Amino acid sequence: MRDLLRYRDLIAALVARDLKVRYRRSAIGFLWTMLYPLLMMVVLTVVFSAIFRMNVANYPVYVLAGIVFWNFFSQSIVAAMNSLRGNATLLTKLPVPKAVFPVATILSGLLNLVFALVPLLLIVAVTAHPITPALAFLPISILIAGVFTLGAGLLLSPAAAFFSDTVELVTLLLTLLMYLTPVIYPLAIVPPHLLWIVEANPVRSILEVFRAPIYDGTLPSLTHLGVAAGVALVALLVGAFVFERTSRRLVLYL
Amino acid sequence: MSEPSTDVIRLEHVSLKYRLAKQRITSLKEYAVHLVRGTLTYEELWALRDVSLRIGPGESVGVIGRNGAGKSTLLKVISGVLAPARGTVTVRGTVQPLLELGMGFDYELTGLENIYLNALLLGRTRAEARKAEPAIIEASGLGEFVHTPIRNYSTGMLARLGFAIATAWVPNVLILDEVLAVGDAEFQQRCHARLQEFRDQGTTVLLVSHDPHAIEANCSRCVWLEGGAVRGDGPVADVLRQYQDFTYLREHGGAGGLVTHQAAGG
Repeated sequence: MRDLLRYRDLIAALVARDLKVRYRRSAIGFLWTMLYPLLMMVVLTVVFSAIFRMNVANYPVYVLAGIVFWNFFSQSIVAAMNSLRGNATLLTKLPVPKAVFPVATILSGLLNLVFALVPLLLIVAVTAHPITPALAFLPISILIAGVFTLGAGLLLSPAAAFFSDTVELVTLLLTLLMYLTPVIYPLAIVPPHLLWIVEANPVRSILEVFRAPIYDGTLPSLTHLGVAAGVALVALLVGAFVFERTSRRLVLYL
Repeated sequence: MSEPSTDVIRLEHVSLKYRLAKQRITSLKEYAVHLVRGTLTYEELWALRDVSLRIGPGESVGVIGRNGAGKSTLLKVISGVLAPARGTVTVRGTVQPLLELGMGFDYELTGLENIYLNALLLGRTRAEARKAEPAIIEASGLGEFVHTPIRNYSTGMLARLGFAIATAWVPNVLILDEVLAVGDAEFQQRCHARLQEFRDQGTTVLLVSHDPHAIEANCSRCVWLEGGAVRGDGPVADVLRQYQDFTYLREHGGAGGLVTHQAAGG
């Protein structure tokens, strides 16, 4: 970990390059990252209010907060898993700390999450959703989400170096996990006998900690906050440990 | 217990194996299939076998051997790219590996932008890169071309830029893998001059080459690897003679029973 500090300028450069590439690739570039979650929100709002006839107070804000969080979480993990293979030529030739690449991808994902707050807060303002001082808690929510995602990324990225199809497997599992998390649906529609599944899902707490200051206008409950912080910390410790142990052999498989 | 020593590089009983699956397995699915069928077999290839080496400050050591003898693996273990399966590797001070010229270049960026990116990849900070920038541009001889994207560079220009960045800072240990073989006579001359400066400042130099002349010109000691093990170690002239006798015998003596070692890991 001390090595990572020594390479902080490299991490910053990799993040900057990643953002540059991401926004250069499409014609409307930067605007697209803003637009994409908004379009998703429109689609889901239409589906849920017109077809499922479900009534959630200000569903657009609810679902957009969920989508922004989930996009960060799932895209960062997949990007972290691809980062080792993507930089295989460097990793087999230079003694760069291997964690530099997953760490940089997750940091750039975090920056994208921050950018995505712009359309989110725009919708909050447009729909005249109440804004409370609880919003000031959001940076801590983002920090917890970042720590958790980093841990998950460090845990899973070596697997992608050993077996390339683990990326597809994880993508599939992430989709399943999304439906086990109240990202796009409200908790109220879950049948009572299945509720325990959603409640046992720790990612839900991390989502609630992120969504409460925006949607509910309150600080997250102590239970969610405790679970989220605890799970994030454990994920980071386990992820860092597994990464450290496997990274010694990892280069032989790239 | 290890007695105090002045060794800059010390390898003790270092072994490293590549596990080559007979069927190249790259996916979890194939792995599961082979696991269920019980056809999961591996070929173990020891790229390094019980290698012990001690290299002192300011020594220039050439490493010679056939393809697949473990030369590149040895350099990777010393530079810290690969961790040994057994044994210990101790290197004191800073190590600058140059296993390939222009590693980590981004061809869309200009020469100047690549100076920064490459310096950071080599573990330098932005501040250090900024300080070294004029010297690197000077050493690369690129002049105004430093502001052009490097995809427009010739091979020679890329080699000069790569070498200039990698040798901008004086390390305790410099590790070179065949990089002197590229480029024209002028580039080679620049390289030799820079290597001499490093040696004068006490840098330990490790050099892999197929070319006995490159080793003769740059090194005082030579290590000969064969099948991942040290076969010879001593003054350049002696070891090179042994090596050349050995290769001559192999080619003309018809030693039929010898095991051939597959090249691994480039």
